[in-house]
Amino acid sequence: MIIKTEALTKHYQVGSEKVEALKGITFSVERGEFISIMGPSGSGKTTLMNIIGCLDTPTNGTYFLNNKPVSELTDDELAHIRNDEIGFVFQSFHLLARNSALENVMLPLKYAGENKKNAIIRSNEALDKVGLSDRSSHSPSELSGGQQQRVAIARALVNKPSILFADEPTGNLDSKTGEDVMNLFKELNDNGQTIILITHEDSIAQQSKRIITIMDGLIKSDIKE
Amino acid sequence: MLVEESIRSAISSIKTNGVRSFLTALAIIIGTAAVISVIGIGSSAEKALEASIDDLGPRTLSIFPSQRKRGGIASGFNPLVIKDAEALAKNNEHNWLIAPAMSGNRQIKYKNSNMNGEINGYLPVNFEVRGFDIGSGRLFTEKENLGRKRVIILGSKVPGELKTSAREILNKDILIAGTSYTVIGVLKEEGSTGWQNPDDDLYVPLLTAAQRIFGTDRLGWINVGISNDTNVDYVMMTIEQILRQKHDIGPGGENDFRINDWSQFSDLRRQATGIFTALIAGIAGISLIVGGIGVMNIMLVSVTERTREIGLRKALGATQKSIMMQFIIEAVLLCILGGLLGIFIGVSLLYLFTSLNDWIFYMPLSAVFGSITFCALVGLFFGIWPAKRAAKLDPAVSLRYE
Repeated sequence: MIIKTEALTKHYQVGSEKVEALKGITFSVERGEFISIMGPSGSGKTTLMNIIGCLDTPTNGTYFLNNKPVSELTDDELAHIRNDEIGFVFQSFHLLARNSALENVMLPLKYAGENKKNAIIRSNEALDKVGLSDRSSHSPSELSGGQQQRVAIARALVNKPSILFADEPTGNLDSKTGEDVMNLFKELNDNGQTIILITHEDSIAQQSKRIITIMDGLIKSDIKE
Repeated sequence: MLVEESIRSAISSIKTNGVRSFLTALAIIIGTAAVISVIGIGSSAEKALEASIDDLGPRTLSIFPSQRKRGGIASGFNPLVIKDAEALAKNNEHNWLIAPAMSGNRQIKYKNSNMNGEINGYLPVNFEVRGFDIGSGRLFTEKENLGRKRVIILGSKVPGELKTSAREILNKDILIAGTSYTVIGVLKEEGSTGWQNPDDDLYVPLLTAAQRIFGTDRLGWINVGISNDTNVDYVMMTIEQILRQKHDIGPGGENDFRINDWSQFSDLRRQATGIFTALIAGIAGISLIVGGIGVMNIMLVSVTERTREIGLRKALGATQKSIMMQFIIEAVLLCILGGLLGIFIGVSLLYLFTSLNDWIFYMPLSAVFGSITFCALVGLFFGIWPAKRAAKLDPAVSLRYE
């Protein structure tokens, strides 16, 4: 089991008001799954992704990633886990504008302490995997939206993560390139990559193999194909 | 590779915001330029002083006439005279060189050229004490001095003043107050000592000067050349003893002359220069601190602007330490670049100043490295807080920062 959560809760203090973003989430993910987490805005799906993506810690509850308890780790320990185990793909790509595609893909390897030679080899492999080996020296502004998102996917894959998180990955793309990106995800999943997709679009969610719907901080439904 | 990445990121950030970076570093640039030029001018002044002390020969004491006091009240002026110098020269207890001199300005004429020049009455030994070398021709002799001969030696710049050359004027006559003197030698260029320039002066035998030019046996000063291993206090005591006797000063009476030890004087002057330099450099250094605050300010802006980038880097696995390093390196680099530019400007100013004033250009390397180190420390100190703020950013929040 890659992910196992037990009664995850998350409380925020907004001014004098206490917001319960998650009210007790229990679920697990097996290796090789392709999951969509759905829900309207304000449902808590982003908070859930932050916690299982190790960007945030839960208020209560336990979370095991690869059988390691991560709910009470320090900031830097979480950073190492994010570097090792998790690859992120964001709606707005989040590429560094002043760096080339290759340098963007290399970034996680730099934080992993990989030497430069290996980092370049591995980054080129990752770019090859998303079909952009001929664009490695281009800067993000010289690439189309779909190409930028594929660079971001290469960056997410370069450290061979246990899980690939994608937060609305097609949100900034037209339907044709969005479809290309989804096809890439399916292909990666067919090769064994575990993928968790956060989306509010039904048509996107339908392409995954399991759909978890979140509503008001709780799991409303968990449907496997 | 992380350090390399941090440096690359810092360079590209500084380059992207070129104008802003420059304005931020401006206080650092000005501060460093000020510190460097002030220290440089102070050091060059010290070098010039050392050179002028060296010019005085191995070690020189100077005796000057001064006011005679009786019971604290000035009671006339008792001059140093040639006989005083002779009395000193007669003493063979010390291995010293007694170099009496008198000087005054006179009009000098050669062909159709006129100049006003300082004429010095010297003994041959004076040239030795001052370390002057003859460039062409010869020095005058003791015999010419005793014979009150009308011979003259010119400072290296005098022939030019008289619109001629050393070669041409040698063995010719020049007129001083209507009397002709034969030029027997021209000195090598000696260089300014700071308070006088021997190259502009003219030199005649002391007795010639006393009798034919100034009409007095009053001396301007007596230089005493001593070797470096001499007991100066003892020499000064002997001088005092001889002169008090000559001037008939009883016990308890004050000296009517004073003795300067130039090396002591130069120590004092060096100290004063050093204190002054340190003071101004310190004030200029404050502007580096002010500059540091500017850097801190802009780094805080930069952290805010790059919140999303920081969030992304943290999401990809950057630890607090690596984010901190990135921003500290940026602040330090900004300060070092400012410092380098400041050094360039400071050294240029120093070069300009020294060449305009005909000084020796001297810039101590320790000051250059010192100011770069100081700039780096300023960047480090004022970079820490913004960097810490960046490192502490919550990745989940900063990724979605608009």
